[in-house]
Amino acid sequence: MPANADSQGDSGQADSPVDSIVGTADDGIVRELGHDDFDPVGTLVLVLIYMAILIGMWVFMYFVEFLGRGLTVVG
Amino acid sequence: MATASGGSEFVDKFPDEAAIIKASFLIAFVSLGIGAFFGLIQALHRTNVLRVIDSADYYTLLTGHGVLLAIVFTIFFLCGVFHWAVARSLDRPAESALFSWAWVGLMTTGTVLATVAILGGLVPNLGMSADVLFTFYAPLQAHPIFYIGLAMFIVGTWLSGADWFLSYRAWRQDHPDERIPLQTFMVLTTMIMWYISTLGVAVSVVFFLIPWSLGLIESVNPLLTRTLFWYFGHPIVYFWLMPAYLLWYTVLPKLAGGRLFSDPLARVVFLLFLLLSTPVGIHHQYLDPGIAEGFKFIAMTNTMFLLLPSLLTAFTVVASVEHGARQRGGEGYLRWLGALPWRDPAFTGMALAGAMFAAGGFSGMINAGMNINYLIHNTLWVPGHFHLTVGTAVALTMMAGSYWLVPQVTGTKLYSRPIGLLQVIMWFVGMVFMSNAMHRAGLAGIPRRTAEPQYQNFEFLTPIGSIFELRVQIALGGTLLFLSVVLFLFNILLTSLGEESDRPVDSYLPEPLSGPEGSPRILDNLAMWTGIAAVLVVLAYTLPLAGIIQNGGGLFGGGLPVPATVSAGFDLVMTTVTSAFNTLWGVVA
Ligand code: HEM
Ligand SMILES: [Cu+2]
Repeated sequence: MPANADSQGDSGQADSPVDSIVGTADDGIVRELGHDDFDPVGTLVLVLIYMAILIGMWVFMYFVEFLGRGLTVVG
Repeated sequence: MATASGGSEFVDKFPDEAAIIKASFLIAFVSLGIGAFFGLIQALHRTNVLRVIDSADYYTLLTGHGVLLAIVFTIFFLCGVFHWAVARSLDRPAESALFSWAWVGLMTTGTVLATVAILGGLVPNLGMSADVLFTFYAPLQAHPIFYIGLAMFIVGTWLSGADWFLSYRAWRQDHPDERIPLQTFMVLTTMIMWYISTLGVAVSVVFFLIPWSLGLIESVNPLLTRTLFWYFGHPIVYFWLMPAYLLWYTVLPKLAGGRLFSDPLARVVFLLFLLLSTPVGIHHQYLDPGIAEGFKFIAMTNTMFLLLPSLLTAFTVVASVEHGARQRGGEGYLRWLGALPWRDPAFTGMALAGAMFAAGGFSGMINAGMNINYLIHNTLWVPGHFHLTVGTAVALTMMAGSYWLVPQVTGTKLYSRPIGLLQVIMWFVGMVFMSNAMHRAGLAGIPRRTAEPQYQNFEFLTPIGSIFELRVQIALGGTLLFLSVVLFLFNILLTSLGEESDRPVDSYLPEPLSGPEGSPRILDNLAMWTGIAAVLVVLAYTLPLAGIIQNGGGLFGGGLPVPATVSAGFDLVMTTVTSAFNTLWGVVA
């Protein structure tokens, strides 16, 4: 276990109020998650959203490149 | 790993290294200021909003902008970060402070020479100019001082790498069986890639461009200098990106309140970049005549492989940030995003930089496609793309990282967190305007690198919106970006002038969730990976280079033809390999 967030939070507050120095996110830690307690589902959701956007953009590019001749400048 | 309990701040522990890092950052930030100012002038000039320079001087400023930002700012900052990362993660000072100052000095001298040569272009009658853009290949020619400065700069980076390898060697003697600490591993793999790739540009500068600019040789083979440039010109992209990745992997999770998801995965990503980033440079030359389509196709395939480490990075970094959010009480599929420390400029800046990088990934895929590249080649789309990647993913990460790093080397608290926050958001917003408009302007066919992007009797058309609106967006975005740089420099300046503090920053870095123990030791075998990387480069470049020299009129263009015997040798190699390839293809297909 790394030096614990709880103790850091206390000492951090004593001399410098939270939010005044950079990198104090550990002060707000309410629980420790180890490797096995953590499922990155949120990451999966974000990756899927990104994929959906990518596909949408590809379709748009296809439109510009092949179907959109009349709309963009050619010749 | 060192913890940050009072008194063990970086500057107290490693005062010599802190001084080197401060010097590197200082030069990086001065370059950032000047480069951003030129960027503002360009953005306003080419959109016809405000013209303070003569259009004939546009190239001079554009060269200054490209060189000072994409080469000097990024690489000096990298040197500072890497120096910090090696000293911190090996927990030992550099072997010789004098040697460290030697590379800082050499790189600085080189920068000054090159900048003087570039700005000399603004002073008529001086007879000095270097309007060759940051890509500096023939047939554009610069004053010899420019190339000499450049060569000194590159040799300086080689020495900086040597500095870190020497530290590593000394550490290894004391720790024969330990795994290379992650940050040092990242620095070393990045520098190996840099040594391999700068070889190309060194050959180009030393053997061709310097003798040519001095008048010692009459001509060069332009396609050869272009190819040697791009041999280095793609890997330099990763040289920009790797310090940002280092910060994303090792610092961002901490800033988010979490821990790096996987140390072995991070190592694999850096190795993949070492292996794959050099054999792809020809993807910048899809439109160059004189290189066979087949080689371009191979470069395209290799490029697509590079998506793998990028996607691995996206996953690992986002998962680590999510870990932080959940430790801070975040819940749900997406609600955890709200639990992140969005008021911390270091965190928010890096997170926004990462988001922009995801958008840049899309336009990068378009650039990489051999056929669809024709649509956007040499249009404003291209600067639109790299202002998302190097101009934001890298530059904004570096600025955000400074809010956390600078206090560690100065021992003073950040002057203002709110100004920092405003600054990174302003960069993001400015870039949304400028970059989306540049992409769309490129689709409409507006060229890049020109002061006067309009033609007589010809009108650009956009599918959505109007050209006028695009111009306004570029000018507005460019102005916001410049103001953001001003705020950044102001904040950092006042930070460094501030009073020393016991705890200037929370510098503790937690261990990864899954450490290096479980990963195969072979990942740390740097000699083997270097060998493989070199073989891949030889495979990718021997034939194209042979073809270019042979068909392009020899090593020196029109000047000196290749001797007949050498040429016959090339012929033999080419025909043998081509027919072997064709046979193989016949079997496969
Ligand atoms: C104040 C912020 C910035 C502004 C307003 C700005 C504006 C511009 C504009 C308008 C161009 C296009 C010029 C043309 O093709 O005619 C350009 C090109 C370029 N910018 Fe920026 N930029 C900024 C920041 C950056 C940063 C941070 C980087 C890299 C770290 C960067 C790297 C480049 C490069 C490499 C070019 C291409 C130069 C060439 O074509 O040779 N810029 N910039
Ligand atoms: Cu590239």
